[in-house]
Amino acid sequence: MSSVRFRTPQSAAASLLVPLLLIAITALIGANGTPSFQGTVTMILCNLIVVIGLQVFVGNSGVYSFGQLGFATAGAYVAAFLTLPAAFALLQTPGLPGAIVDAHLGALPSTLIAASASGLLAMVVGLPLMRTSTLAIPISTFAFLIVVYNVVANWDRVTGGSSGLVSIPTTTSVESAGLWAGAAVVLALAFKWSASGYRLQATREDEVAARSIGIGVMRERVIAFGISGVLCGIGGALAVHQSGVLNPTTFYFGATVTTMTMLVVGGVRSVFGAVVGAIAIAAVNELLRGVENGASLFGAISIGEAPGLAAIGLGLILLATMIAMPNGLSGGREAGELSWLQRLGLSAPAPPPQPQGAVAGRPRVDRAASGALHAKGVSLAFAGLQVLEQIELRLEPGEALGLIGPNGAGKTTLVNVLSGFQAPDSGTVSLDGVDVTGRSPTRLARDGLGRTFQAALPFPELSSLESVAVGAMGMGLGRRRAVAVATDVLGRLNLLERATLPAGSLPPGSQRLLGIARALAIRPRYLLLDEPAAGLTEAECEELVAILRDVLADFGCGMLLIEHDMSIVMPLCSRVQVLDDGKTLRIGTPEEVQADPAVVESYLGSSFLAATDA
Amino acid sequence: MTELGQNLIDALALGSLYALIALGITLVYTVMGMMNFAHGEFIMLAAYALYVLAGLPFGAAVAGALLAGIAIALLAERLAFRPVRNADLSAQLVTSLAVAAILQNIVTAAVDARAQSVETPASLSESTSIGSISVPNLEFLTLGLTLIVLGGLGWLLYRTRTGLAMRAAAENFDMARLLGVRADRVIAIAFAISGALAAAVGVLLVMQTGQVSPTMGLTPVLVGFVAVVIGGFGRMFGAVVGGLLLGALSSLLGVYLPDGLAPFRDAIVFTFPVLILIFRPHGLLGGEIGKARV
Repeated sequence: MSSVRFRTPQSAAASLLVPLLLIAITALIGANGTPSFQGTVTMILCNLIVVIGLQVFVGNSGVYSFGQLGFATAGAYVAAFLTLPAAFALLQTPGLPGAIVDAHLGALPSTLIAASASGLLAMVVGLPLMRTSTLAIPISTFAFLIVVYNVVANWDRVTGGSSGLVSIPTTTSVESAGLWAGAAVVLALAFKWSASGYRLQATREDEVAARSIGIGVMRERVIAFGISGVLCGIGGALAVHQSGVLNPTTFYFGATVTTMTMLVVGGVRSVFGAVVGAIAIAAVNELLRGVENGASLFGAISIGEAPGLAAIGLGLILLATMIAMPNGLSGGREAGELSWLQRLGLSAPAPPPQPQGAVAGRPRVDRAASGALHAKGVSLAFAGLQVLEQIELRLEPGEALGLIGPNGAGKTTLVNVLSGFQAPDSGTVSLDGVDVTGRSPTRLARDGLGRTFQAALPFPELSSLESVAVGAMGMGLGRRRAVAVATDVLGRLNLLERATLPAGSLPPGSQRLLGIARALAIRPRYLLLDEPAAGLTEAECEELVAILRDVLADFGCGMLLIEHDMSIVMPLCSRVQVLDDGKTLRIGTPEEVQADPAVVESYLGSSFLAATDA
Repeated sequence: MTELGQNLIDALALGSLYALIALGITLVYTVMGMMNFAHGEFIMLAAYALYVLAGLPFGAAVAGALLAGIAIALLAERLAFRPVRNADLSAQLVTSLAVAAILQNIVTAAVDARAQSVETPASLSESTSIGSISVPNLEFLTLGLTLIVLGGLGWLLYRTRTGLAMRAAAENFDMARLLGVRADRVIAIAFAISGALAAAVGVLLVMQTGQVSPTMGLTPVLVGFVAVVIGGFGRMFGAVVGGLLLGALSSLLGVYLPDGLAPFRDAIVFTFPVLILIFRPHGLLGGEIGKARV
């Protein structure tokens, strides 16, 4: 197996050194630290686990949740219920079922059950919440936090109400918290680097483009939300077994602001950022609390008590970070991606992949099978304006159909209807004989419909290799196979050289080609290209024509080409369909269309003459 | 029948209060695209102005609260929100969360974390009888104020040049700028009005509860957010509908919920929007956010 991967072994190892260091340092503190210092460190580690839980969802999805502390609350209460000594349970939680009271579980089983319970809760809550929009999720998760608070604060017979629970066994040691924190880092990295993690990151980078390559935005968000719930539940369970007390405000608004500050200051996009942020903010917080309690600073300057000071300080740090350093201390990098580590030779960026022969990632086109992408009588109006009127369009595998027409003729709208981004008012779209009208873009991509957009819509923070591989992952391929497919496709489009650089750093022409590569990675049976040559230089246009010709020959997919530049349409397309004002004006060979006076008048006009003169 | 009428008026009054909150949040959202977490703290600070000015005649204290609300909104815009004006939605939301935490804790440090009681005019705690229904004067004030605010906003938005600029900015901010709308001014005006609305809500809340506390803005801002989500983002009318619905629901649940469930009223009220969002992911009245741009 050729070793094409997203990162070098050194880089992955450097990133995985973080959890090992965490475990080693906590073991040292466990052996040598004073009890009070051990307690402080244990609490920081519990917080860290919650912050990592937050990172799994927020960092990979780019969507903020203010409800994750609700899962820490759930985990904490479940862990407390399972371990409360019988005498105290009778007093504090008389409404609790006997089976739970009598469980008297140890630290490990109670933590595991608490983690499962909060994870399950996160999935159940996530299913409806993740249906809503990117801006509604922060608000509805915030509502969830308040619902949890309201329930635990008022369900007196079970939760002890607002006075909370005391005398919970304190079983969390600094060593065990260190082990859990290390495991949390590994789990978060494993998720981030999994196919599901990459699919979710693609939705963060560009939701529309992600849907066009078959990624189910809601599904990926729910998965991460569930994993996040598990981690937050573990953090809550360990914390309650450290302090021995629990009340409804332990993990409420204040803790939400603190953990959010830790994540943002460290840098939301990386697990390393979560670790750095949690430790840095915890240190600052301890310092500010010392000042707040009137302790003398450096043994000399003594300051009076000032409650709220620590929280003001944290708020100011969060504000300053948002304004001046939105990527946080880590810059969104994992430890292995830090440039100074790479300069020291302790880590290395992945080299560009080598070209390789054709792989198993060939298109799913069965050349013998007949079929077509077929729009029948499609009509659509926006606010009374008829954009499409009784459009018929037929695209067969292996052919290239040009779709031309003046601006506002309805070309892009037609592609949106074909690819599921826009439902028609009437008419049907069928794919190889199956009626697919109204199917989602995600589903249609999986059915074999690829498309590009007028804008390149790159995934700026992912590398080209990752951007294209994630398309194959959207089709359910594992990471290894997806990388092989991506390498093959990138090789055909001459994009291998800079394949490991962030897609956002490529020149516009390469970003456009990358959009085509990404669509090809889903191995489409039909490929819809919306003005692929817009903004390309003349040389790039010639390269594009050659590439598209090869794609047609090698992939055998049907290609619909929206293009203004006739010098691109003419050599590629065997048929051209002309739209004008939402209606089909003419279908024919390029020559026939060029010769039609109506077409020339409506559209080709001066731009065509200019193109042929040139 | 009498009881039902009474309950409906209570529901309408609470709904109006919620609508005022939602309007203040929506106003800023339309011109800047930011859901302002700190709106609750604008409410809280105005309420504290009333607490600090308790010695003055009531009218003067209310005027002071109003000024405080406007001032803090303008200050927050200038210092915190202007630098992140072009950041994405999430970054702006987190920024406003930071501002909320700072303001809340400044009050905690300066006054106290505990609630403080504020004396309210006796006339507001009395009731007026209409037929067999007796309506607390405070509810009249709330309803009257809401009507005045709605009328005033309608006049401002649809009958003045400033309103035209704001509506243009709400439609397409960049285009409005290119056409000569002064962004800084429009946003500042939106914040000033939002601050004034927050102050009105703060005063009404103090009149209702007779106390102030640093965290008193938390539930109102959530109520406002949820109302905005239900109503569909960025629509004035939607904000009013969302606020009225949420207030009515909360008020009626308070009356009709069986005793055992009564403590969980807030939990039920805040679960309700989720049910709406399951069936209408973009709110009752649509809304553009999250819609695919292709």
